Amino acid sequence: MSREAYQVPSMGAQQNTFGTETGGFGGAMAVDTPSVVYLCGECSARVPLKRGDQIRCKDCGHRVLYKERTKRMVQFEAR
Amino acid sequence: MAPLVPSHEELQRRRIIGINAETVTNIPSTDFPGHWPGESHGWATDQFKKDFQVEFHSNDQFEASFSLIGLDAAVANAFRRILMAEIPTLAIEYVYVHNNTSVIQDEVLAQRLGLVPLKGSVEGINWMHWFRKPSEDDEGAEANTPSDFNTVVLRLEVECTVNPDAAADEQDPRKRYNNAHVYAKDIVFVPVGRQEQYFVDEGAIQSTNPDILIAKLRPGQKIEMELHCVKGIGADHAKFSPVATATYRLLPDIQIERPIIGEDAKKFANCFPKGVIGLESVTSEEAARRGSGYEGHAGEQKAVVKDPFKDTVSRECLRHEEFQGKVKLGRVRDHFIFNVESTGQFDSDVLFLESVKVLKLKCAQWKRGLTDLMA
Repeated sequence: MSREAYQVPSMGAQQNTFGTETGGFGGAMAVDTPSVVYLCGECSARVPLKRGDQIRCKDCGHRVLYKERTKRMVQFEAR
Repeated sequence: MAPLVPSHEELQRRRIIGINAETVTNIPSTDFPGHWPGESHGWATDQFKKDFQVEFHSNDQFEASFSLIGLDAAVANAFRRILMAEIPTLAIEYVYVHNNTSVIQDEVLAQRLGLVPLKGSVEGINWMHWFRKPSEDDEGAEANTPSDFNTVVLRLEVECTVNPDAAADEQDPRKRYNNAHVYAKDIVFVPVGRQEQYFVDEGAIQSTNPDILIAKLRPGQKIEMELHCVKGIGADHAKFSPVATATYRLLPDIQIERPIIGEDAKKFANCFPKGVIGLESVTSEEAARRGSGYEGHAGEQKAVVKDPFKDTVSRECLRHEEFQGKVKLGRVRDHFIFNVESTGQFDSDVLFLESVKVLKLKCAQWKRGLTDLMA
């Protein structure tokens, strides 16, 4: 189960949505772009950002955001 | 010609290792054929059975102290080494980290988890097989796939959150947050297949010490991992060792050669741990006997050896001028005082029997090898 080789998720679907986009109005674009969650560097709140959003924490207004840790499973030997 | 038989006194003398101020004498054993001219010293099972003794001093569940008397150092040491390195136990071997946002790094956490001592039903442990690891250099050897009989799955899933019920000025992070500390008791056992029959209720795989601190978290931090335990031996990694300590020492021997009387006796007793040296008054008979050294000292205090077992052989008494030539320190070469402390998987007295079993198995294996050699 967890010892299977890791499968790289295909990015095909997402790349298509980016590809078809023609740079129209911001509002229309925000509907189909997926939102990515970032962590605020100041208050460590979860900040979901979409394409074109201002890089800014919604709670404290801090402008440094960090990516979340990967969800990929990592294997270690306990020795 | 019949072999010479040494006197009891001579045998007693040979048993003692001399401990002097700066040297140790008479260390190796000499009870083997060909060392003493004319004496036999051949090893015989009957003689060994007659001479060998076991004495228990204390026997708690996880710590036992006992003496093996009439044994060669090689055998006693074999038991000690087998106890530490060759009795199998379960320990966390593979760590699959799904998420770890704590301040402690994945690999450090994995190593820490490996050292957590585990316990589970002994029957289940004995039922389990080895997990053969995949290796690059040996293509022929088949690696095992994890199954119910070779891998135990544990999970550690903890997320720290703010405790809404805590007082506003609460300073203790354990009250202010939920799960601020991750302990060994947070590791949960996930039985697979037949493990459900073997590891039930009290016999479930769990940490022997539930309060081992594994990591500290703050709100928003999270640990989510799957831990695979396998059976292993201490020779491979110390985490598999079933004993915390397994040691032996030789029984100390104190001989007072010339009387130590009065104030000297008190000082002499103070050179040893409490209870080793006792004070008794010189009887009138002893005082009356000529050449005993007690003449005219009737009623005074004299030093007597009460319990050499408690001595640490610090040699303090050898440093003082007044005891020169009056005392002889030593150790009994074939009296091994074992101390076995279990990590919790096995009872400490069972552990020693396990070590005997392993040694027997090795002997049988070697015997088989010898017969193959002759054939």
